[in-house]
Amino acid sequence: MKVGEWFCPEGLRSNRELVGTKENKATTMSTLSQQPKRSRMIREFLLPALAFLSLPLLAGPGQKFYPDDPIATEPETQNATGAAPWKIDLFYDLMLNQFAHPGESARPRAMNVNTIDEVPDSSWFTNRILSRRVSLEEAVRGPLTSDGPVPGKWTVIRAKNEGAAPGFTIRDSAGVTWFIAFDPKSNPEGATGAAVVAMRIFWALGYFQAEYHISRLRREQLEIDPEAKFIPASGRQRSMTLHDIEPVLERGARDSDGSYRVLASRLLPGKILGGFKYYGTRPDDPNDVVPHEHRRELRALHVFGAWTNLVDIKAQNTMDTLITENGKSRVRHYLLDVGSTFGIGANGPHDYTEGYEYLFEGDKTLKRAASFGFYLQPWQTISYQEHPAIGRFEGTRFEPDAWKSRVPAAALLRSLDDDNFWAARRVAAFSDELIRAIVKAGKYSDPAAEKLLADVLIARRNKISQTYLTRINPVVAPVVHASGELTFANAAVDAGVASPPASYSVTWSALDNATGATKVIGETKSGSNRVPTPAGLTAAGSFVVADIRVGDAKYPSWSKPVRATFRRTSSGWGLVALEREIDAPGAPPK
Amino acid sequence: MAALMLMMLVSASTARPQASAPIGAASRAGLIASMQSDKSTRLKAYEPDRAEAIIHKMEKIFLLDPSGFYPYFSSVYPGGGLTGGAGYRRFFGDKTNWYVQGLYSVANYKLLEGGVQSKDHLNRRLSFGTRLGWRDATQVPYYGLGISTNPDDRTNFRFQQTTAEGNTTYKPIPWIVMKGGLGYEHWALKPGAGTHPSIETVHTPATAPGLGVSPTYIHSHASAGIDWRRSPGYARRGGLYQVTLDDYNSVTTGSSGFQKLTGEVVQHVPLMRETWVLAARGKVETLLNDNDLVPYFMLPSLGGGHNLRGYANDRFRDRHSMLMNAEFRWTPAIGLDMAVFYDAGKVASRRNDLSFQGLKSDVGIGARFHGLAATPLRLDFAVGNEGWRMVLSGGPPF
Repeated sequence: MKVGEWFCPEGLRSNRELVGTKENKATTMSTLSQQPKRSRMIREFLLPALAFLSLPLLAGPGQKFYPDDPIATEPETQNATGAAPWKIDLFYDLMLNQFAHPGESARPRAMNVNTIDEVPDSSWFTNRILSRRVSLEEAVRGPLTSDGPVPGKWTVIRAKNEGAAPGFTIRDSAGVTWFIAFDPKSNPEGATGAAVVAMRIFWALGYFQAEYHISRLRREQLEIDPEAKFIPASGRQRSMTLHDIEPVLERGARDSDGSYRVLASRLLPGKILGGFKYYGTRPDDPNDVVPHEHRRELRALHVFGAWTNLVDIKAQNTMDTLITENGKSRVRHYLLDVGSTFGIGANGPHDYTEGYEYLFEGDKTLKRAASFGFYLQPWQTISYQEHPAIGRFEGTRFEPDAWKSRVPAAALLRSLDDDNFWAARRVAAFSDELIRAIVKAGKYSDPAAEKLLADVLIARRNKISQTYLTRINPVVAPVVHASGELTFANAAVDAGVASPPASYSVTWSALDNATGATKVIGETKSGSNRVPTPAGLTAAGSFVVADIRVGDAKYPSWSKPVRATFRRTSSGWGLVALEREIDAPGAPPK
Repeated sequence: MAALMLMMLVSASTARPQASAPIGAASRAGLIASMQSDKSTRLKAYEPDRAEAIIHKMEKIFLLDPSGFYPYFSSVYPGGGLTGGAGYRRFFGDKTNWYVQGLYSVANYKLLEGGVQSKDHLNRRLSFGTRLGWRDATQVPYYGLGISTNPDDRTNFRFQQTTAEGNTTYKPIPWIVMKGGLGYEHWALKPGAGTHPSIETVHTPATAPGLGVSPTYIHSHASAGIDWRRSPGYARRGGLYQVTLDDYNSVTTGSSGFQKLTGEVVQHVPLMRETWVLAARGKVETLLNDNDLVPYFMLPSLGGGHNLRGYANDRFRDRHSMLMNAEFRWTPAIGLDMAVFYDAGKVASRRNDLSFQGLKSDVGIGARFHGLAATPLRLDFAVGNEGWRMVLSGGPPF
């Protein structure tokens, strides 16, 4: 797949929104079964494939690049007013992802990247770190718009009926609604600290985040809203009393002064629609046209998840909301409950297996069964510097490629080398100083906990850089200067995980944008990342292509070119496309 | 199997729709806009597919609404074979419900019972309930008294037990458990069904104490224990140390009462992050007064899926018993444990004879499918000196 395949026709894909509908069943049962096998095959596989592959050439009047390439923002042109709340069944979602491998069986390149291989801003993602400078102050502030619940009386308006963390919903004295969660008794500061640190990390990475604050709660602050309802063990809803929240308070870690350190998360703006799946699209959102398993920012959670040990990746930990601005509604997609990160979750330290194995893995099950448990895995022997506030989180034996979420997620399973490279650059952009500043926002009372978490994050960041920035040609940010030079950066060298290579060579071609045809106009070389442009560049026409290869015996894959395409503008050559050549991906891992 | 069914349901309801590619836009933004415009003509509300709808319905029935009908999987009495049933529960108040439930087994064992349960009072420290029940076990084995009986000497008897009782559990602190109860029990003894001789055709009151008596007791019991297991239904660490005293006060003319003391110790020792668990149990049941007449069907017994697994149910009966179980458990997958085990025990007519001499023993291997707090299915294979036995059961062995 080549650059410009920003989009695959949504209608040619396996649309989960049609699963189980009458129309779809009719197609399956009558049309398909009555067609000859060959025509069915053409219709099912060849036509979509041809349409998919020829899209860059057919789109527009034959041109390869559009005048507005590369786009910086994903257009959302349709009014999504009709998007309605849905509820994804936790057990079904778990079983489906664990055993049925949802999503398309193909594993194409990410479909929502622009022509320079970047993810445009959208209702899913906002370019922050790496794309621009994120100051310490900005990163520490993160998505916060307030200082948290206003002290004073907190009115409990709802019990928490879902999720593992004990909690309830309150309205503070300013009338703002907050969800309150507690640390488990065994791990004071653990869940609350993890949530506020992870929120800042994922916000800086570009995801929409809920607003989390660490607050203090005293029992006497609480009162019950007269309209609040409670569902006891009987299942019969009734009015809530203060007695009903006693079990929640009893489970929470309490400080010596009698107060609770709680996590307060602000009610998201807009209409709550329910979570998003890591495959398919929302059937009621007209702007959601890229299957989620092919969205790069979701695939990238393989890397971001590995870095932060975000093991609990599932639809239930996401949220769509309907935002209306200027009379137009669109669906915004949040990554929620990122608190199950690092070494701890809502109910205590992660299980030893978490981050290393899915809930079920058939081959390992058989081997362990047959070996009386002596088929040992890394998680069984890794030593942790366990701290109650951090849990089980380490960076010494961490292997990014081997990391796994608790349950397979379709998008993560389809991440490719270029997706991982894209994600790793963002991870590498977190400086030590930035990481320590963000971790400090976790307000750990023990400096040893703060240091441990920051040290492990730094160690894991370095492992991720080492793994993914060196796997493919790491040339980034090419610029053609009027002075007759091509300059670029080497992401692996800049991250300190590779030495400067011996040489760079660039093959220059003129591109006919109308036909896509190229014609070689010269080749230049350099021992640094400043390479002269060829003499014939000025006569090359409107588009010129530079295939940049890196000569480094240690990394043979770097000899595969990064293809940078430049368009002549009034102010010089502007980058219009960046393609990374990667090995042909196999089927998604099971 | 559930996963396979899910996959079949999902794949059966998946197909590719057909649509034309929106081409010919003048800009990238225009191209995307045309895609979105095209989709806007085909919007529809989310509809759960067949598998999701079924699972959601099952959850609603069995998990979300505690009142109503429910499937009931338990045992009427060991040896009844495959057993199933149903119940109906209705809550009144936050924590109290009444229920009726029944079981039926392939060996024609039957159970009907109903009662009231009230749980988690006093900050989850106190639970109590009442129960009225009747059960019918048609072919319960009796091999005679002692540890040296012959497996070929099996006879059968039938009992029908009627029970009315009240019980309570109190935990002053989470790991101390105190239980007590008081009830009425009537045992109606009848000739055994099945292919083996009925007990009265082979035995006399001398070899089967209380033969021919259908006693009625006022049964009171009390126990105290230290229990720091995660759950009695499934544990990988922690232990149980418990003593129970049962008092059967006979209200039947010509029959005396008796007291039985039971001591049980269970310990789970996790090794290397619970990769393995060494689990052990010791249990002693003893009748306190040597002169009390205790009917043969109420004597301590060994044999069966929860004690000596290589032997038939109630294979050995006498006035005193001791049992030891040891298991080496490992975890092939979350929700699945396997174990190799060794069981040993004996019964004796005199307490002093409870020694480590002359133990009956078996070894075996098993698989257990469990959740966080329960073991719904256990499959054990055990071999003793009377051959192989397979145990298919719900609940942990100990």
